[in-house]
Amino acid sequence: MAQLSETYACAPSTERGRGILISGDPKSNSILYCNGRSVLIRYLDRPLHVQVYGEHGYPVTVARYSPNGEWIASADVSGTVRIWGTHNEFVLKKEFKVLSGRIDDLQWSPDGMRIVVCGDGKGKSLVRAFMWDSGSTIGDFDGHSRRVLSCDFKPTRPFRIVTCGEDFLVNLYEGPPFKFKLSIRDHSNFINCVRFSPDGNKFITVSSDKKGLIYDAKTGDKMGEFSSENGHTGSIYAVSWNPDSKQVLTVSADKSAKVWEISEDGSGKVVRTLVCSETGAVEDMLVGCLWQNDHLITVSLGGIINIFSASDLDQAPFSFSGHMKNVTTLTVLKNNQKMLSSSYDGIIIRWIQGVGYSGKIKHKDIPQIKCLVAVEEEIVTSGFDNKVWRVPLSDGECGDAEHVDVGSQPTDVSLAISSPGLALVSIDSGVVLLNGAKVVSNINLGFPVTACAIAPDGSEAIVGGQDGKLHIYSVTGDTLKEETVLEKHRGAITVIEYSPDVSMFASADGFHESVVWDRVSKEVKLNNMLFHTARLNCLAWSPDSTLVATGSLDTCVVIYEIGKPASSRITIKHAHLGGVYGLAFIDDLNVVSSGEDACVRLWRLTQE
Amino acid sequence: MANSSSGMAVHDDCKLKFLELKAKRNYRFIVFKIEEKIQQVTVEKLGEPNESYDDFTASLPADECRYAVYDFDFTTSENCQKSKIFFVAWSPDTSRIRSKMLYASSKDRFRRELDGVQVELQATDPSEMSFDIVKSRAL
Repeated sequence: MAQLSETYACAPSTERGRGILISGDPKSNSILYCNGRSVLIRYLDRPLHVQVYGEHGYPVTVARYSPNGEWIASADVSGTVRIWGTHNEFVLKKEFKVLSGRIDDLQWSPDGMRIVVCGDGKGKSLVRAFMWDSGSTIGDFDGHSRRVLSCDFKPTRPFRIVTCGEDFLVNLYEGPPFKFKLSIRDHSNFINCVRFSPDGNKFITVSSDKKGLIYDAKTGDKMGEFSSENGHTGSIYAVSWNPDSKQVLTVSADKSAKVWEISEDGSGKVVRTLVCSETGAVEDMLVGCLWQNDHLITVSLGGIINIFSASDLDQAPFSFSGHMKNVTTLTVLKNNQKMLSSSYDGIIIRWIQGVGYSGKIKHKDIPQIKCLVAVEEEIVTSGFDNKVWRVPLSDGECGDAEHVDVGSQPTDVSLAISSPGLALVSIDSGVVLLNGAKVVSNINLGFPVTACAIAPDGSEAIVGGQDGKLHIYSVTGDTLKEETVLEKHRGAITVIEYSPDVSMFASADGFHESVVWDRVSKEVKLNNMLFHTARLNCLAWSPDSTLVATGSLDTCVVIYEIGKPASSRITIKHAHLGGVYGLAFIDDLNVVSSGEDACVRLWRLTQE
Repeated sequence: MANSSSGMAVHDDCKLKFLELKAKRNYRFIVFKIEEKIQQVTVEKLGEPNESYDDFTASLPADECRYAVYDFDFTTSENCQKSKIFFVAWSPDTSRIRSKMLYASSKDRFRRELDGVQVELQATDPSEMSFDIVKSRAL
């Protein structure tokens, strides 16, 4: 049996030039954000315990708790809103197709009976408000001509809805049934966010013209604006009120977050500027914020979440992050039990069991990563160009990378673990042997190569082809001599791995089958490993060479035991929405897997 | 005996042995093979009552099609001992296409000859007839 013991969650998906919305529930101390097709619920006091809702068919844009904390409404790019319960396994209450385009913001009314939704659409459907349980429309929302970026419900009676968008307008509607009341055109650029204060007296709009304006909530009259002294020098993407309605937090493309004091007459003065980064790169532009209880939460374009303490603004923030895209490789560094995961956009993150996020490995040169192998002191990666990079790793920091041009895009990279200078890289029509950063030989094998592995001592190499055949070569100096060809697989070989004790090797193919072979006799040791239903992406051996884990596009991880028949296997279903792409064993009882949902999960195996 | 759409006749022995399994419970399983030369379905192997499910899977060749009948004993959730007769159409992906076509077209006619089969299962590789799948179909 396998149990989920830790989840290293993904970061919110971000887009340059747009803000994102994160929301939370002060009572349960949790925050909600979206990545891809999943909604993530994270508990601030239990960062390794993450709940994921993956029922949307399209990428999710915003999710919010209802005022009583019992329901969550989430919306996606197809214009669909799903309302589901927080407890009881996320049982779906209702699903409505509300807009004809992407939904950008969603708000509950303070009594939890109505929901207002705004976004992109055609013609009429840019803003819609409806009853939460029946979906019946409760008002006419004309007045916008372009994408509506944000909307909010006034928390106190008399009810108002305010919306703002790309047509530089802020519209006020009163009701129910909601009707257009007035339109305000004070901003000179996209208005990114509008929020009512919790006491219902004012609302603030923030815009890409770097200004923030404060209005009276009942009449819509402009009361004041953020003072320009110490103001933002870039577009302001989001604003969040303090629960006592006296202060707000704003985040901006100028990479800073500011806390403003809003006085009774409606003018705002900067109390504090919080700078979250030292490097000032584009990834540090802040795109989302939330003020919840005592926490000030900011999200950067690079996916880093910083949590400041509101009562002690001088204290350094607690920050964590995750991947934002498909995590394609996963390795475990043996000596210090750290895990390295990398995604195709070139981000490498280090994780520690029991703790979670432990930092991103910063490197200047590597643009994208398709294959990655790591030994203690170095990482070898290849991307989508013709280069293989070798980066020395000391203490988590990268040194200068050296690269080697291998002639065409590498399909697989393998390191001889005992002599890590030696690497085998498979390219489209052959393999390349590397020693350090020099090409030792480039061997054309005549068939398309899809996977390769080199024995830890560098004496033997196994190459798998598109046709499913495994070719075993002995390596002498810079030449390969073919020893045997093994035919059993019915699809292109995707992974080949030697067992840690080097007595066996396992291969997996695109036809959902994997086989374990004895290295010396080349006989099949474990047969019928057919329990997946789609292409196998990854394979890992346990350190004692008794267990083999395979991960597949069908989202399952199956663990087989050598010596027992394949049918007595442990299956982990739905390990990662979208497919499992990376697998590694930390020790004989713990497996870590990563997948398309940008999360990394740690499973504990227990004997039944 | 009337012929199936593929022209295959069923040997009388098949039906007799099946009735013995059903009534007297003196076999655990029966494996049937189509003999192309004589155009008939014949009994290939009979399993003793003390043989297990693994013996049954072992007697099915890995790259040839067969029909099989297995008498499966299990305990229900209310703790009663029950037994169900499974008909397995074993058609591995690695077998020849001609073999698969032959067995597929004759299956319906043949199965109707065996009156009293409770569950039918088609397996194209060993994972599709693993013990847990059989158990879940029985309940």
